[in-house]
Amino acid sequence: MDENGAIRVLRQRDREYPQRLREIPNPPKELYVLGRVPEEQIPVVAIIGARDCSEYGKYVASGLGAALGHSGIQVVSGMARGIDGIGQEAALDAGGSSFAVLGCGVDICYPAGNRRLYEKLRTGGGILSEYPPETPPRPGNFPPRNRIVSGLSDAVVVVEAREKSGTLITVDMALEQGREVYVVPGRVTDPLSSGCNRLLKLGAGILLDQGEFMEELRQICEKKGLRVEDEGAAEDAEQEDAGLTEAQSALLAERPELMAVYRALDFTPGSVEQIRGRLPKQYREEQISVHLIRLCMEKLAVQVSPGQFCICRSTFG
Amino acid sequence: MYSTVVSGALLGVSACLVSVEVDIAQGLPGFSMVGSLGGEVKESRERVTVALKNVGLNLPPKRITVNLSPADIKKEGNAFDLPIAAGMLEAMGYFRPGAAEGILFLGELGLNGEIKKVRGVLPIVREAVSKGIRQCIVPAANAREGAAIPGIKVRGAGHIRDVFRFLESEEGEEKERLLPAEQADSAELSVRGDRESMPDFSQVNGQETAKRAAEIAAAGFHNLLMVGPPGAGKSMIAKRIPGIMPRLTQEESLEVTSVLSVAGLLEEGTALVGERPFQSPHHTISQAALVGGSASPKPGIISLAHRGVLFLDELPEFRRAALDSLRQPLEEHRIHICRSGGNVTYPSDFMLVCAMNPCPCGYYPDKSRCSCTVPQIRKYMGKVSGPILDRIDLCVELQPVDLPGLRKERKAESSREIRARVQRARQMQMERFAGTECRFNGDIEGTNIEKYCPLGREEQELMERLYQSLQLSARAYHRILKVARTVADLEGAEMIRAEHLLEASFYRPSAEYWSV
Repeated sequence: MDENGAIRVLRQRDREYPQRLREIPNPPKELYVLGRVPEEQIPVVAIIGARDCSEYGKYVASGLGAALGHSGIQVVSGMARGIDGIGQEAALDAGGSSFAVLGCGVDICYPAGNRRLYEKLRTGGGILSEYPPETPPRPGNFPPRNRIVSGLSDAVVVVEAREKSGTLITVDMALEQGREVYVVPGRVTDPLSSGCNRLLKLGAGILLDQGEFMEELRQICEKKGLRVEDEGAAEDAEQEDAGLTEAQSALLAERPELMAVYRALDFTPGSVEQIRGRLPKQYREEQISVHLIRLCMEKLAVQVSPGQFCICRSTFG
Repeated sequence: MYSTVVSGALLGVSACLVSVEVDIAQGLPGFSMVGSLGGEVKESRERVTVALKNVGLNLPPKRITVNLSPADIKKEGNAFDLPIAAGMLEAMGYFRPGAAEGILFLGELGLNGEIKKVRGVLPIVREAVSKGIRQCIVPAANAREGAAIPGIKVRGAGHIRDVFRFLESEEGEEKERLLPAEQADSAELSVRGDRESMPDFSQVNGQETAKRAAEIAAAGFHNLLMVGPPGAGKSMIAKRIPGIMPRLTQEESLEVTSVLSVAGLLEEGTALVGERPFQSPHHTISQAALVGGSASPKPGIISLAHRGVLFLDELPEFRRAALDSLRQPLEEHRIHICRSGGNVTYPSDFMLVCAMNPCPCGYYPDKSRCSCTVPQIRKYMGKVSGPILDRIDLCVELQPVDLPGLRKERKAESSREIRARVQRARQMQMERFAGTECRFNGDIEGTNIEKYCPLGREEQELMERLYQSLQLSARAYHRILKVARTVADLEGAEMIRAEHLLEASFYRPSAEYWSV
């Protein structure tokens, strides 16, 4: 096949055509592939969500993508800006494989800003589309491609979605195709989580804890007779990432002021003035800004914009 | 009869002396003027004729020729009426030949003989002093301005009749009394420098980070960018920056006053300007109005902001061409303008303070309130040209002020307190840069950075880690060092310490916010 990076066409009668897609209503007649298609025997999870995601969304998506990639579970999504791309990239970076389903020809990198991810996907997974090469990304192409995203997966995870969101189309398709849907809850005041919370009210699966989710995923997959890697891998990932590194803990223990500022951070980006409001009165703004930059340097905080900071951790759960 | 008197013409913010020659000879009656004259100078013929007639001095029906020399310099402005009239009176023999010798004349005449204020008195008088002239007669409204220059007797005149009487009277006390010399008041600068009416930082509650950035910017003459939603207080802070900047030195004050004088914007009766200028042009401003020049060059807003603050509110709304024209002045601290009317160089050493919203709606990155799409934000940010952002040393983001912030438990610091610290930092910089081109840390060139911002071993290691973890560019690295130098100066510290570097990094402008 594609030793030289050629685009292949898979038709339904081809052996390689994904079995999962044969099961769904209205399967794509042709599937153009750059790279590989998902392995039949290994579970596939779709990570989907808003393009303009928040720091919280980024954090959850990358943590989840990394955990899935680490335990060898394949991640599929739409390679969009925001949650989709972040989840996929995290999975690839953790050594897993990931697959993107595009709304244009597989030879076109859309959105262009995800060029780096596109290149990684060619080697670390695959890029799929039901549209022939050179098809431009028309808006009408995207809702139908969402059925392939959910069709290819065993479970769909919605990380962040507004009340009116393309992500919800994917969820509808997933339910129609009989796929499990998991949703990451958000605050009720947060517009970027309103779609998610709505789905939860409708009875979607709730993703609270990474370990728990992996366990449930394992059960689903075992029912389907899929090969799931040893528990150890997932556990390891958690052990390694949940807390701080030794150097980080040592630094925080050594400097109580730094620790206090670190404790005042959370996932909602906050300004120096807001952070100061959570600290004892003797902290002055100049000191706080100095501590914040040091936390950024130690990868304990992220400077989201010139004046806003939030906490930085590589996984959750 | 032939006569000659001295006057002056402007060349940018400098000046050159012009000798006004008048000749009255037998021949067909007529009045001609030569010497590369601008429109308003040519009109001077009518003004002088009528003004002299109205004080009862009719021109003789003879052949009158006026020449302004050197003939190859374009003469513009309204200041040649009085010297021409004075030369005419001498040529007509109304007073003894030589009575007007060694006196510089400047002034516009009204048809009734009144002498009106003119532009550029300060630079012309300055030039005259350097050429050895010890006496001048200028419009009464400009007398104090001229008197700011030591070494010359500046007499203010309100009417051509007074000038005539002065010239015809004999030397002595009586003559002195006719047109008394204006006293240069050396205390004036400092008195006017006291800003009772200036807006004060004590009126700004909250926004401590932005205030701190303004303090650092003022102390080191660093360019500052403020990003924040509407109503966060960006303009309020910008307006208060001149009030915490170090006081103008005598030399700086002369420069500022010269530009104002050339632009004709000096208030009547002002001697030297003691306050740093603050210019805040509207974003629809044209390139010519910003940098200066029209057919005949005039100082633009950037020159009027010389030694002070140029505040560009709503930065992305400014025309690209106008913003890009700031590149040379930001680099070289002066602007060279070439127009059909001549080539001039104006000073333009200003501190650039910009303000902008982070996105079209103003609330990015607050995702719960911002309704802009990423392409919209990118387009908005993209309007600000990279080369301008490259010249910004400090960037600060302002948050909307909430009610508790407005009713702050702490009393906001006053401009006077902040300025005391700034003044100390200024003192350290003056010592550091003595005998060099640099005046402030903001002027440090990349090649001199290691000389002026030396780091200890520990600090060097910290900077290397910052360089990697914050993914700095070489330019950003230098900027952090310059700003850290100022932070250290504010504290009175000889050496740059770790916390200075960290605080400077906090305010670093980062390209990543512009690529969303």
